[in-house]
Amino acid sequence: MKKILVADDEMAIRLLYSEELKEEGYEVYLAANGREALEIVDKIPLDLVILDIKMPEMDGIEALRQIKERRPGLPVLLSTAYGEYRQDFATWASDEYLVKSSDLEDLKSVVKRYLKD
Amino acid sequence: MAAERTGFLTQMVEVLTSTVSFGERLNNMVHLLARHLKVDLALYFALDKARETLVLQISSAGPIPPHLRLEYPLGQGLVGETAVTRKTRLVHRHQTGVLEANAALAKLHPAFHTLAAFPVADDNFLYGVLILMDREDRAFTPTERQSVLLACLMLAGTLRQAIVQEEAKKRIAELSVLFEVGKALSSTVELEVLLERIVGTTAKVITARGAALHIIDKATGEARVSSRYGQIPPVCPALPEMLPSSGAPGEPPHYEGQAVDAEGRTHFCLAVPLTFKGPLMGTLGVYDKLSPAGEFLPFDPENRQLLYTMAGVVVNAIENALTYQQVEDLAERNERMVENLTTLQEIYRALLTTVQTGKLLDMVLQGLTQEQGLGFDRALVLLVDEATMTLKGGKGARRTPALLRSPLSEALLQPLSQEISLADWQIPLRADQGPLAQAVLMKRPYHYHQAQKRPGLPAALARKYTAQELYVVPLIVKDRATGVLVVDNQDSGRPLSTEVLGVLQMFAAQAALVLENAHLYSTIEANNRELLLMRERMLESDRLAALSSLASGMAHEIRNPLVSIGGFARRISKLVEEKSPLRGYVEVIQEEVTRLEKLLREILDFTGENLSYYGDHELAKLIDDTLVLVQRDLEASKIKVVKEYAGLPRLHCDDRQMKQVFYNLFQNALQAMPGGGTLTIRTYPLEKPDGLYEAVAIADTGGGIPLEVLHNIFNPFFSTKDYGTGLGLAIAQRIISRHYGQIEVNNEMGKGVTFIISLPVAKYCLVKETGQSAVPASALHAPRG
Repeated sequence: MKKILVADDEMAIRLLYSEELKEEGYEVYLAANGREALEIVDKIPLDLVILDIKMPEMDGIEALRQIKERRPGLPVLLSTAYGEYRQDFATWASDEYLVKSSDLEDLKSVVKRYLKD
Repeated sequence: MAAERTGFLTQMVEVLTSTVSFGERLNNMVHLLARHLKVDLALYFALDKARETLVLQISSAGPIPPHLRLEYPLGQGLVGETAVTRKTRLVHRHQTGVLEANAALAKLHPAFHTLAAFPVADDNFLYGVLILMDREDRAFTPTERQSVLLACLMLAGTLRQAIVQEEAKKRIAELSVLFEVGKALSSTVELEVLLERIVGTTAKVITARGAALHIIDKATGEARVSSRYGQIPPVCPALPEMLPSSGAPGEPPHYEGQAVDAEGRTHFCLAVPLTFKGPLMGTLGVYDKLSPAGEFLPFDPENRQLLYTMAGVVVNAIENALTYQQVEDLAERNERMVENLTTLQEIYRALLTTVQTGKLLDMVLQGLTQEQGLGFDRALVLLVDEATMTLKGGKGARRTPALLRSPLSEALLQPLSQEISLADWQIPLRADQGPLAQAVLMKRPYHYHQAQKRPGLPAALARKYTAQELYVVPLIVKDRATGVLVVDNQDSGRPLSTEVLGVLQMFAAQAALVLENAHLYSTIEANNRELLLMRERMLESDRLAALSSLASGMAHEIRNPLVSIGGFARRISKLVEEKSPLRGYVEVIQEEVTRLEKLLREILDFTGENLSYYGDHELAKLIDDTLVLVQRDLEASKIKVVKEYAGLPRLHCDDRQMKQVFYNLFQNALQAMPGGGTLTIRTYPLEKPDGLYEAVAIADTGGGIPLEVLHNIFNPFFSTKDYGTGLGLAIAQRIISRHYGQIEVNNEMGKGVTFIISLPVAKYCLVKETGQSAVPASALHAPRG
């Protein structure tokens, strides 16, 4: 079973994402900020990470940088309420940049694309 | 008999002590003797100065006609023998050989029978020989002989006295000459006056009709000074030609000559060298010695000696006078220099009081034309216009005597009262455009004088402005000619000296500096104005940004809960049975959330989330704007910037993003060349298979990128300490690809790196040409994140 980490500071979003992804047949890990996300990345042999950008303690951009340093091959999707971070070169290291929407079909199809094999 | 002898002796003593001249005395003595002895003829032969020949000097028969001026070399005839033996002789005509040996004497007294010779000598010196002739055969009595011997002694005494007196006279004359010369020499240190006195005195003491002095420079042969006095016969050689001749062996060098003029008069000249210690030499010459009767006489060795003495004495005085003149010249030059510098300083001080170019031009012209300033009759200032490569009319002015009274500092501030309009002047900066263009091109002053063969003003200009002589001095700042000053003295006709040129050049340097300062100042002012404008614009956009960020902040806050609400509503709708009334409620929630999300996207689009700054921009301008940001760093690293911009059309792009690209590439170049180098920026059109592009090549000389890192340079987060941060290039690449362009790297190890950016030319440019309505390329391919 593919392992996905979802990091978001909003509990409601974490719950929504995990329910939806579990339904798709993935094993889902949750983190409330970048620091927690990194701890999980270090422990679990994950297959994909979904990061919110605006998070307390450590934001998604810093987490993205460190994840790419530790596990360069691990796909990282940014899922954020902010479209303008797209302009920030630091987000360019991510594999996808997705603006949050209540319709999760987009997100799920992208995840599927990265984890299809 | 005894009484007669006493009478004779008394008469002799009377003659001896008389005050008549020595010649007269000798003459009288010879006559007395002849009368006393009752001989037909008494003759006196004088030994000449060379002591080789005896010359007939006195005859009791009266003055000697020239054809009877007898001469006997020592040892010849009775006269010559007596001079050698110094013994009295008495011979008679009938004696063998007498007539033959004394044939010349016989001409004076053809009937003589008795011939007696007496040496005229004192203890150690022979003066001459006394000859007595008579037609009778006579034998002189001892008393008579004694009388003759006594007379001879008296003659000798008179002659010795004469010699002594002549010596004394000569000495006195020489002393008086020296006195005269000394008086002349010590009376002045003015060279010209001194020389006049020297030649005057020389002519006077030698009783010459004319005298001249000439001094030349030994090395160059150039005449330094000369002075003349009295009449100098034109037939005589010029003084400088007399110089190289030298006298006979053992004699000091001199020139002695004579020449006959058209009227048949013989002229004489004598010259001796003047020997100076320094690099000079000269000649002192005299012409035509005058006899009391006004005849021209040749110069004798005594004159020569005298001239030598004079020459020796005057040399020192001339040297002193020359030194004095030099010192005086120097002092005068220093004084003028100080005066000039004071004037320049005063003008400079005035020039520093303003930074307005127009005012400065007026002051410069006032400084050039004011009597208290540099005082030229006319002055022009023209400035280089770099855009058109021409010299353009600045301003011109004439000298204004009206302002003469006021001090220079005030006069400089007056408006120009006699301005010369140069408004329509425009001189291309080419070598064939005359002195003004030449001075700028060569960065050297130009001196034009009608008499010279140098080219003058071109015909078109000469109609507006003519001058016999003018100086053109370039205004040079940091080895760049920014204009010219032109001055002349056309109205007054005063010549333009090289000294004036020196002062003018100093003035030009100052003028150039203050004009350049004024130019820089106005540039800074313009820049400041632009900065101020930009700041205002930025403030305005800041206000807009603040408003939009408030809106966007709220929108974002709403988006997260909406995602949860909508997301869970979807989940619920999946769980609710199709027929349940709940289904409809949940769908309402879903639809409303979707509507709100759509609204949000629209708001965020408007408030700048996806705001872009696309417009039509000139690449060169964007590059230059960006260069300003790194200007200081470039200068600090001693990096030379070479720009080669092709005139390209405007390009549709996001100017902020493009500036970011250039900025990142410049930063890259800066880091690659910490020790200086050249940054070459080139823009050019580029044709690719898919259309026209505008290209920018940015090349550094930083040694290139190591091969092992080359393939990574565009990766985000890739960084090496040696070469850049890595981030900059990644951003650049992203921005360029958003503009549908390409960025390539051309790496030459050991030399440097060239980044080549190519951006497609907006298609509407082509559309426009075919006459269709213009559609911006951004509308066709609107870049969206």
